[in-house]
Amino acid sequence: MRSYSNNEMVDAVVIGTGAGGAPLLARLAKAGLKVVALEAGKFWNPKTDFATDEREQSKLFWNFERLSGGSDPVAFGSNNSGIGVGGSTLHFTAYTPRPQPHSFALYSEFGVGCNWPISYDDLEPYFDELEQFLGISGPSPYPWGPPRKTAYPLPPLPLNGPAQLMQRGCGKIGIKTSPAANAALSGAYYQEHIGWRQACTNRGFCQAGCSTGAKASMDVTYIPLAIHYGAELRTESFATIMEKDASGKITGVVYKRNGREEKQLCRHVFLCAGAVETPRLLLMNNLSNSSGQVGKNFMAHMGLQIWGEFEEEVRPYKGIPGGLISEDMVRPVDADFASGYLIQSIGVMPVTYASQLARAGGIWGEELRKKMRAFNQVAGINMHGECLPGEDNYLELSDELDEMGLPKPRILFTIGENEMKMSRHGEKVMRQIWTEAGGKNLLSYQRKAHTVGTCRMGSSGDTAVIDAAGRSFDVANLYICDNSVFPSTLSVNPALTIMALSLRTADLFLQRKQQSNNV
Amino acid sequence: MALLPTDFVTDVTRKVLKERLQENEYHPRFFDPEDFECLSVVCDRLMAQDLNSRIVNIAVHIDERLHRKTGDGWRYDNMPADDQMYIAGLKGINETARLHFQRKFIQLRNEQQMEILRAVQIGSAKGVVWQELPPQRFFEELLAEATEIFFSHPLIQDEMGYAGMADAKGWERIGLNEREKIEPVAIKIKKQI
Repeated sequence: MRSYSNNEMVDAVVIGTGAGGAPLLARLAKAGLKVVALEAGKFWNPKTDFATDEREQSKLFWNFERLSGGSDPVAFGSNNSGIGVGGSTLHFTAYTPRPQPHSFALYSEFGVGCNWPISYDDLEPYFDELEQFLGISGPSPYPWGPPRKTAYPLPPLPLNGPAQLMQRGCGKIGIKTSPAANAALSGAYYQEHIGWRQACTNRGFCQAGCSTGAKASMDVTYIPLAIHYGAELRTESFATIMEKDASGKITGVVYKRNGREEKQLCRHVFLCAGAVETPRLLLMNNLSNSSGQVGKNFMAHMGLQIWGEFEEEVRPYKGIPGGLISEDMVRPVDADFASGYLIQSIGVMPVTYASQLARAGGIWGEELRKKMRAFNQVAGINMHGECLPGEDNYLELSDELDEMGLPKPRILFTIGENEMKMSRHGEKVMRQIWTEAGGKNLLSYQRKAHTVGTCRMGSSGDTAVIDAAGRSFDVANLYICDNSVFPSTLSVNPALTIMALSLRTADLFLQRKQQSNNV
Repeated sequence: MALLPTDFVTDVTRKVLKERLQENEYHPRFFDPEDFECLSVVCDRLMAQDLNSRIVNIAVHIDERLHRKTGDGWRYDNMPADDQMYIAGLKGINETARLHFQRKFIQLRNEQQMEILRAVQIGSAKGVVWQELPPQRFFEELLAEATEIFFSHPLIQDEMGYAGMADAKGWERIGLNEREKIEPVAIKIKKQI
């Protein structure tokens, strides 16, 4: 791997190596730029470092404490953000549906929420590229949305028990289903400069780290590509301060490594630390916030889950967890709310399931032991519903300091009326599906999934933090790319869209650079 | 457990689970002995084990974590930091025990202890501690941590017929009613369904 000294003026420092940082890191390095990525965590070797054990794998979660408030506090830690090279793609489920075109113009369609300053067409070439590059396994043709220019490179992964049950339940009530698109390989896959990645072994532990390299987390895809093209990956380096010159441009990034402060000089910064750490860093530095929008409009998908016990042996720890999808409810005909949701089947690991019985069901003692003895007969179904931006939901800095000596973020979240109605709709539909499939003793868990918003992209610096190209309205050499820039949540899991934005941000940056060089 | 020494389990997974199976003598480093004993008994009630049948001493793991000062990445904004929460919560449990039964929690019979814990869970527990510390949230946090520790233990996972730790070869039979040879026959739960 190439390396640069702190005093060498590099073209770009990228903060964070997840779905937002890794693709653009590779793109910038490929264009010949000198780039350094700062990653707070380690570069794991999945084969020797990842045990098939949930407790051991909590090392993949961002475990610096966050304070969670509002009427419906959001769980962090295992629920979303990651640490280590690859960020939260280390523990994402690999579910990679594309957003639908209408999702980008929610305000135009419903008069609520927010339009994106870009459209599906702007991202479509990147979706095509990503699906081929990552080796996404999915159905072709895809049953919902506009026709695709490219087919998925690999057929769908095999269906596990929960997926078969959802197929059965939906079939009985006329809801269309399909094997889902997942960023895990259904066959061996080769990419230049990365090599072969082997097919998924159905180990079922995607959310605790893939030990085989079948899941397209960034550490086995864009990161090796970036290193091949000459990027430096600086791990266990925690960015804290962005130094500015008199004109307001960033001149260097201060980070902590081995308990010491260091500073990397740079021409540009790409901030890709996720929807909590990105605004936290901006607020700590009093940076890029003339709009007052940094930290505002924190959103989380309505991720209601329903667990049921079945006659059949399900053994829900096997296979890709989210095997099946239905997008029939992305715009339900009988909706009394704006937008909609997707439905997925879910497998589960034992501790995650036990923890939900405890937190959501308040179940303990002999009853909990009994419920857990039925674990092999348990299957889940889950929704991802749009969450509207709202004034009451935001992130701020608290007075409490964490072990790094930095203010802990406080995130306030309250489920709005639209989300409430959507969740009720989803719960009714999913309970019906699970009942038809043969599920008994159903238990609902009101999960809030993914962290979205807090540095929204928009067409005006009065109401947004970054422009449609991903550049800060206030700081000319600062770019932001992660789930914080989403103006609305979309009703799909965010990873694929973050990666598409990442490639696009890099391409537009390189174009701009080319143009200014030509002047 | 039967799978643990075999080639069906990777070295990295085996190492983690074997370490967890080791029962060493433990001296609390965060809690004082009295609180530690109280927490051990509270956790026994939560996971339906007793001193004679105790498989996992959950309090050991909580004590270790609080001593290490690590957490799970978040806490409720209206709750104190984890160390303070545990100290206050145990104080509250003992206060409620005295108000209800005029004894310390560990001196009560199992049913009485469960009554106290139920009162904390639903927020009806008496005592001044609970005016400061939201009892339902304390119970939720305690129960969640105890649950995650307990069901991570290989012996408890065995009881569930769970075989996910056999990670070396992957799975081919993943559909409904498709058991692989190395997976234990399920304890069929039919009656309650």
